[in-house]
Amino acid sequence: MRATVWSGRNEVSVETVPDPTILNDRDAIVKISSTAICGSDLHLYDGYVPTMKRGDILGHEFMGEVVEKGKGVGNLEVGDRVVVPFPIACGNCWSCKQGLYSVCENSNPNSGMAEKMFGHSTCGIFGYSHLTGGYAGGQAEYARVPFADVGPIKVEEDLTDEQVLFLSDIFPTGWFGADLCDIEGGETIAVFGAGPVGQFAIASAILMGAERVIAIDQYDYRLQMARNKAGATDVIDFSKDADIVEQLKELTGGRGPDAVIDAVGMEAAHGHGAVHAMDRVKQASRSETDRGHALRDAILACRPGGIVSVIGVYGGLMDKFPTGAFMNKGLQLRAGQAHVQKYLKPLYEHIRNGDIDPSFVVTHRLDLDQASNAYETFKHKQDECVKVVLKP
Amino acid sequence: MSSKASVTVLGSPEEVRQRWQEDGLRPEYIESRDAAVSFKAAPGDRGTEIQVDLEQTAPGGKLGEMLMKLTGKEPLAKVKDDLRRFKAQFEAGEIPRSDGVPEGELAERKLKQRPAQPLKEDELEKAGV
Repeated sequence: MRATVWSGRNEVSVETVPDPTILNDRDAIVKISSTAICGSDLHLYDGYVPTMKRGDILGHEFMGEVVEKGKGVGNLEVGDRVVVPFPIACGNCWSCKQGLYSVCENSNPNSGMAEKMFGHSTCGIFGYSHLTGGYAGGQAEYARVPFADVGPIKVEEDLTDEQVLFLSDIFPTGWFGADLCDIEGGETIAVFGAGPVGQFAIASAILMGAERVIAIDQYDYRLQMARNKAGATDVIDFSKDADIVEQLKELTGGRGPDAVIDAVGMEAAHGHGAVHAMDRVKQASRSETDRGHALRDAILACRPGGIVSVIGVYGGLMDKFPTGAFMNKGLQLRAGQAHVQKYLKPLYEHIRNGDIDPSFVVTHRLDLDQASNAYETFKHKQDECVKVVLKP
Repeated sequence: MSSKASVTVLGSPEEVRQRWQEDGLRPEYIESRDAAVSFKAAPGDRGTEIQVDLEQTAPGGKLGEMLMKLTGKEPLAKVKDDLRRFKAQFEAGEIPRSDGVPEGELAERKLKQRPAQPLKEDELEKAGV
């Protein structure tokens, strides 16, 4: 089959590799109809995530048709149209039973490696380094899906691929980020990053009843999408004024947002002169893995007693964590890879009911063979790129 | 260097103890080392804490220990593999396999990962699939 493989920093290519086969009873093989490039794939592309290996197939957002299944998969039939969640989860361990699927205790066969990095192992993830299991990803013609009796959700034919594809990651991830903010109605929420996940965090916060949602980015076209499509009530363009904390205070009568969502992660672009320069040097020399301006500013901007919700991907360590502000303001820091399996059904219902049409983020549609160009376009935000969908 | 390794498995001590002896689940390496194994109920219905104590230092002193660590043949690493495999089989009914680690969790694979792409036919046979 054809598949998008990582060939080193800033290098991906589409190559012919063996077709996947069933390895365990609970596996299924999915023939992929649509797959997307995630912002977090850029961290792999840029070489900031350790334990990548040349030849790794990328991609954790995909959907398609079940073409083969193991004897342990009773809930799916060959021919079913499914969307596959990016976390691989067994559904049987204590964490899965609590709904904490992204910290499944069994699905990562490199758990020993993960324990060394994080203290504990987290779940396996498709196409996302060997630290999360070394599973082949879905930017390909076919993928093997372990624990297929737990993960994939069946979707009906009257919805288009682009309406349901993002159930695999970015819609539930944005929703999860907003869910962590304990929105009851009337809150002001700030969202750092108006990339695809940020767009869904904004849309989700509005659906949950937030009264004001402030989008923060440096690209006007993304802020326009946030305002016009996702429903942001205010925007901050930090390419015009880098003091985000002050602007957030101005917009909230000095109080600060009730909760702040970090949908940026380890490669934050803004930041103040000296600290930003130091972060870049340390990250380039690999003595710090995470550039943390978004998280630092989120903590400084959040109102006392508020919540900072981290869904942007971090990989290791960051410097200058503002412990003083965090502690003295009495903030709650909440985080995680989204527990996608838990949100699939309710979010599918939101799509069915017409509460949201997730296809609004798609700006680019390309053949799988164009993956290399697609990564470059997405990375450099060329051609007003927000989200790329690849067709195998 | 610690000689102990632990894992918590979601099941009662009686059930865990019984399945520990089952064909296909029996942790071969731990059994072969004749290690001390204890089963204790975890608080709050979290299952059973299994603790294995090798109670002996690695042969070959410090240098031998380091060599074994590098090659993934360190006894404690192999004990941990056994524990993770037992837990996965007990809870999920199978040992998770990936393209990078087709045999399932294996200390020897830590530095020798396959690329994350599907296996060729001869590799499938070797991995026991």
